[in-house]
Amino acid sequence: MARSAALDRRFHWWCLAPTLAVLAVVTLLPTLYLLATSLTPLNLTQPRTAWDFSQPGRNYTFLAADGRLHGSFWVQLKLSAWTVGLQMLLGFLFALLLNLRSRFLEALRTVFLIPMVLPPIVVAIIWKVLYTPDISPVHWALAALGWPMPALITHPAYALLAIIVADVWEWFPFTMLMILAGLQMLPQEMVDAARIDGAGAWRLTRHIVLPFLRGVLLVAALFRLIDSIKAFPLIFILTDGGPGTVTEVTNYYSYIQAFNFSYLGYSSAITVVLVSATVVLSAIIVRAVGWGPRSE
Amino acid sequence: MADLTRRTFLKGAALAGGLVVRPPAVLGQAKPFAGVTIRGSSFQHVFHTYLKEYLPEFEAKTGMTVDFAPQAFPVYNQRADLELSTQGSAWDFLNITFIYSGRWIGAGWFAPLDELVNDRNQTPREWDAADFVSGAQSSLVDARGATYGFAWEAGAMLMGAGRADLIEKAGLKLPETFDQLLKVCEATNGKDGVAPFVADKLHHWNWIPYLMGYGGRVFKDPPGNLTPTLDTPEAARAAEYYANLLVTYGPSGLLSYTDDQAMRAQLSGRANMRTQALGWLSPLAKHEESKVKSTVRYALMPGGPAGQFPGSNSHGFGIPVGAKNKRAAWAFISWAMSKETLRRITIEKGYTTVCRRSIIDDPAYRKSMTFNGQDVAELYLKVLSLGGKSGYMKYRTVPVFPQVGDKINKAIERIATKQQGARDAMKQAQVEAIEDLKKAGVKLDA
Repeated sequence: MARSAALDRRFHWWCLAPTLAVLAVVTLLPTLYLLATSLTPLNLTQPRTAWDFSQPGRNYTFLAADGRLHGSFWVQLKLSAWTVGLQMLLGFLFALLLNLRSRFLEALRTVFLIPMVLPPIVVAIIWKVLYTPDISPVHWALAALGWPMPALITHPAYALLAIIVADVWEWFPFTMLMILAGLQMLPQEMVDAARIDGAGAWRLTRHIVLPFLRGVLLVAALFRLIDSIKAFPLIFILTDGGPGTVTEVTNYYSYIQAFNFSYLGYSSAITVVLVSATVVLSAIIVRAVGWGPRSE
Repeated sequence: MADLTRRTFLKGAALAGGLVVRPPAVLGQAKPFAGVTIRGSSFQHVFHTYLKEYLPEFEAKTGMTVDFAPQAFPVYNQRADLELSTQGSAWDFLNITFIYSGRWIGAGWFAPLDELVNDRNQTPREWDAADFVSGAQSSLVDARGATYGFAWEAGAMLMGAGRADLIEKAGLKLPETFDQLLKVCEATNGKDGVAPFVADKLHHWNWIPYLMGYGGRVFKDPPGNLTPTLDTPEAARAAEYYANLLVTYGPSGLLSYTDDQAMRAQLSGRANMRTQALGWLSPLAKHEESKVKSTVRYALMPGGPAGQFPGSNSHGFGIPVGAKNKRAAWAFISWAMSKETLRRITIEKGYTTVCRRSIIDDPAYRKSMTFNGQDVAELYLKVLSLGGKSGYMKYRTVPVFPQVGDKINKAIERIATKQQGARDAMKQAQVEAIEDLKKAGVKLDA
């Protein structure tokens, strides 16, 4: 019996081996290379720097003294908190709405998915047009009504807000879709029982729906959090990180270091910190929230 | 009468071309590159649009296929930088962008062209490499005198005023100094709904003439001493002046303007003055969509207390060191940069910023560069000679300029949006520039 279990286990490992090997090649090796590169002063114009490990802590010393990088962490925090928070809230509200039994609302579901399925660059260009006073119908309309609006993407007080609005518009359908799928799995008898016990809409949501959706909400939030840390096209097209560094998130700063200045070693060190922070943050959130009820 | 003269000139040029310009031996053969495909790229520019219109003739003559795909300026530079660093063979010819020329040539990523130029089987004597304006070629030649590219564009910064009529109505003329520029802006502000000034967001190109005009500089003594000098009183003064121009007299949202947006604002008559390379200003007089053809006027870049320092630059085609089809690539470059092709592009298409002296001195070119009775070619040549003589543009071709340029862009944005005062913003730019240059291992003054 024990021999059979061992054989089974070995068989399972052999089945998994190709997948694990591919996973190692596509994720583990690049990560190890990233880590190794972060210990070098790799600069594209000086190929010999690729294997120069004489000062492995050099890039990390620069990190500690880089004020612009520290500023980018703060921008990142604001962007992630607002976009993830708003996408979760709007996604939840729209999912509740679209979960109602109505032919019209069912037809409307597809319309809400449009922003999410557009290529990110197209989304960025749409918002660039909307935010550029010369060509924006929004600016024209507001000016015609006597409420001229400043150029949002070049105003230090509004530039990040402009990115947040565009990002929320693009990605709240994703959270909406996930939550809607979760809502449709909600057993009707639980809802009916709560109603019989006298629960109103608020208590039903608070004590039945939200606990049931906890796992879905957690996954959706984690997806969006990780994606918000990778934010790029909107910032690249709309603000280029500006005005000044008002919208320069860490990911974008790392890109500038690598591809505008050729400091690949330094950029790798920033990325290592970013990846580590993302993993730690995800673990903390998973531990704090939990996956919710699991069916055995 | 004008048409007749132009046609006569073109006929004469074609005849002379046929008689005098003997094709290189390699092009003398029937389809010497039949079946060969070469790939090349550059940043998008009107020159390439014109050049591509003549490409079928070249392809029919040589049998080769030229896959030439220009990209947006930042995208091209980043892709080229990465591709060149691998010394790969994906591209057979590439543009050598001015601000990257020191870096790309210095790193040995482009092949020297002298052997091909001097090989009479590849290049006829009449092709005449010495005909290229030396100022335009300077960034494409290394310290030992080896040539790595030939310039298709010599950018010369001028002032273009699309609505010069507004300036005249205010009883003023095109400004020659920074003080006059402010006066003109003030006097014409809001007239006819036209913004007096416009610029694109590449401040590290647009702002430098103002910095130098106030007596400042980017580096202490480039290329020998690359210690940044962005925290001087002159730099702060110039930054404050320029940021004020942008926010007080520019259209709303100016800080996000690209090159093309700024040009469109002028073409449509929504903005008046711009200090920029002629390639972006000449469409005001020539572009079919221009609404300011009859009112546009040009002038030299205004000067400050320390003098006039209009920007000048050049971009040229070169062959990456890893290219597989170097001979075919050279056949393309030598055709694209030949007197005959460039003459056709300038005379037939109206391209302005050509780098061959024989074309610049040609009466037909001078005529095509006369806008509203104004000899703009003369202004263009003045700027090129200014940049070549004193060498004040050397700051721009040092390998670490992109890093320092980024700090300048950010500082100007912070000043223009009132996030920081000029002095603090430039001090911060200096500190950040020094930190970045340390990463590159550049030796700096204590």
